[in-house]
Amino acid sequence: MITKQSKKDLLKDLNRRQFLQTSGALGLAAATSSIAEIVYAQDKTILKIRAYADMRSLDPAFSQGITDEEIHSCIYSKLIQYKPGREWSWELDAAESIEQVDDTHIKFKLKPGIMFTGGHGEMTAEDVKYSYERILDDALESTNKPDWGSLKEVTVDGKYEGTIVFDEPYPPAWNIALPYIVGNIISKKAWEEAGGKVDTTTPSTSGPYLHKEWQPKQKTILVRNPDWHGGTAAFDEIHIFPIDDENTAQIAFESGDIDCTRLSLGAVGNLKASPPENSTIEEYPSLYYVWVGMNVENEAMADQNLRKAVQHCIDVPSILQASYFGAAEASTGIIAPGLIGHRPQSMVPPESDIAKAKEYLAAAGLDGGVNVTLDVLNKAANVTTAQVIQATCAEAGISVEVNLHESGAFWSLGDSSAGERYKDIQLILNRFSMAPDPSYATAWFVSDQKGIWNWERYSDQEFDNLEAKAKATSDPAQRDEMYRKMQDMMEESGAYRFITHEATPVIYRNTIKPAFRPDGLPLLRSFTGA
Amino acid sequence: MIDVLRRITHEPLGLIGLILVILIVISAILAGVVAPYDPVALNIVDRLQGPSINHLLGTDQLGRDLFSRVLYGGQVALKVALISIGAALSIGVLLGMVAGFGPRWLDNIIMLFFDTIRSFPTVMFALATVALVGPSLETVILVIIVTSIPNYGRVVRTQTLSIKSNEFIRAEHGMGASLFRILGIHVLPNVMGPLVILASMDIPTVIALEAGLSFLGMGVKPPTPSWGSILNDGYTLIRNTPWPIIAGSIPLVLITLGFTFLGESLRDLIDPKLRKSV
Repeated sequence: MITKQSKKDLLKDLNRRQFLQTSGALGLAAATSSIAEIVYAQDKTILKIRAYADMRSLDPAFSQGITDEEIHSCIYSKLIQYKPGREWSWELDAAESIEQVDDTHIKFKLKPGIMFTGGHGEMTAEDVKYSYERILDDALESTNKPDWGSLKEVTVDGKYEGTIVFDEPYPPAWNIALPYIVGNIISKKAWEEAGGKVDTTTPSTSGPYLHKEWQPKQKTILVRNPDWHGGTAAFDEIHIFPIDDENTAQIAFESGDIDCTRLSLGAVGNLKASPPENSTIEEYPSLYYVWVGMNVENEAMADQNLRKAVQHCIDVPSILQASYFGAAEASTGIIAPGLIGHRPQSMVPPESDIAKAKEYLAAAGLDGGVNVTLDVLNKAANVTTAQVIQATCAEAGISVEVNLHESGAFWSLGDSSAGERYKDIQLILNRFSMAPDPSYATAWFVSDQKGIWNWERYSDQEFDNLEAKAKATSDPAQRDEMYRKMQDMMEESGAYRFITHEATPVIYRNTIKPAFRPDGLPLLRSFTGA
Repeated sequence: MIDVLRRITHEPLGLIGLILVILIVISAILAGVVAPYDPVALNIVDRLQGPSINHLLGTDQLGRDLFSRVLYGGQVALKVALISIGAALSIGVLLGMVAGFGPRWLDNIIMLFFDTIRSFPTVMFALATVALVGPSLETVILVIIVTSIPNYGRVVRTQTLSIKSNEFIRAEHGMGASLFRILGIHVLPNVMGPLVILASMDIPTVIALEAGLSFLGMGVKPPTPSWGSILNDGYTLIRNTPWPIIAGSIPLVLITLGFTFLGESLRDLIDPKLRKSV
């Protein structure tokens, strides 16, 4: 073993000639290893892709975030899957047929012959029942239970037939349950043998790929499932690399280490002007929503006039230019274009109106100026946004002190179970991820979410009622109207200034044919060679 | 003092160091006069410009003049360095002399205190403190003071122990001189030389620490300019423009070189024996 000291001694004794000899040998070794890797890569078709985070769980009841779901959708089957493209829709996977027979019942029939790995037999309606109902079980404490909404049970009508039964209409099931995290079907037999839940290994799968290996913080390796019911998966292996930073991911792409990655918005302009050889850049609208929230229970922010003054101070176009390089559009609310409930325009225009802000300040008796704090997660775009807000608010006499927080501290700020800090929040710059159903956006702003995710502590019984009603309404037109109304109410309260839904630029090598959701997230199981 | 300055200027490295230090100190002090723009004024239309007559070092993502931000950033760097090293030096001298001259039990307690602080890696200690109390310039200064006290305290203690056994101290003691007189008239002047060298060598380290914390967003609050926050902007924009990185790096390199050259020259002047032992 070479210790630190012996390394130092080695270096001390190394003369120039020895250095050159050693470098040559190392260079040859590196070259040989590259050649070996190329040969290896030629023998196998390997898709190398970047994920923004590491894998955390292989149990659909406990999966956390997009990375887990990207892996799950490769190794498990669902009744339906998101269909790649620019419009939100779904396609059949394990289901031979599926139909909403009335407001609270969905009937399905599985394709026969879908085999679970590990000798756990054929997929039946019992497996679907087990997969969905276990998530409802309070004893399991699944973090993903809310995604099933008003699911009551799954009845088994035959070996392959079953009915998904809801207590009340639950239209989001088609958007955020069946084709998403909680829609993954696991083997009842395998799971029961494993004790009811699994962690970072899985006893049995049925998707186009098998989970081969997880190297924490290094990569996750999936390999082709030779027994997949859907035919032959496109790649021998998929290597998923967790790379948090988009600049780093871009370097990895340019050096050939990965085949596809999301890009930072700041990189798009330069890359479009001078794209890397043999690559394609595509831009997708994102579902994320970014907003400035105001804590209505904080003593300083309790005055609605002050909140409205802040709304009118914030100049969204300047933020989009400075923080998002002009590559993102202003949002009109928390529901992105393309989804039910999206508003064509906000009540407060995106541009700042300092005169109006001053009127509201005068109405609040604060025409002499006021000091407020803005809590921000310490990320480049957020810090830039905060400084734009600071500058435009100063024009109206609102002095904004920016408090930067690292991730752990930031995400516990509004959590009332984590101390009293939630009371000190005045302004907060926030960003939530989103699934393709409006209920996924509004659910966090009801009264019950105060101190959990509702950091503005906004509370309105009418909003709560609407939220519950909209989730259980089947008619899309009625839903649309209700979700628009909810966003109107949020904006009228003065507690929200909507900024943007961001955007998702992606780059991929032309040797592959990628498949993305309409919001630019990869659907790895549908990637193929070009 | 004049003699020391004259001798420093006769050494090439000392002269370069002195010029760099004077240049940076004066430019920071006169930032309000020299800077062509308000360092926090936004001009998004002119964002990410390269160097030009209007903007000598270009502009950042908010269109702020980088040259002006670098000059004002010098004020932050020097403020942190002077306040924290001044305070750490004062407390370190006091504790070091008390440890060296006081009873054994007190010496043990103070040394235990020093060892405890030194057992924490400075950056980790800084990050933990900032995470606990929140980022601000005051927090950075506090962290640097606490972590620097043992450096000065140990040197002073060693020097005090060495001087303590000298005959002239014993004679003073025998003649009834007070402890304060002995420490102030005899011990303090004898320990100041090494301390001045140590402090001058510490200044770039402290400035780099402040820049590092600001780079991580744990130093000064926006929009206050700091060399570290300019570097951070530069890092995130490296694919768009190299100028913020260059603008943030230049003063850090210059001030590190300046104080290092000056410190080494001072060391040679004050303690030539020390140089041979290094």
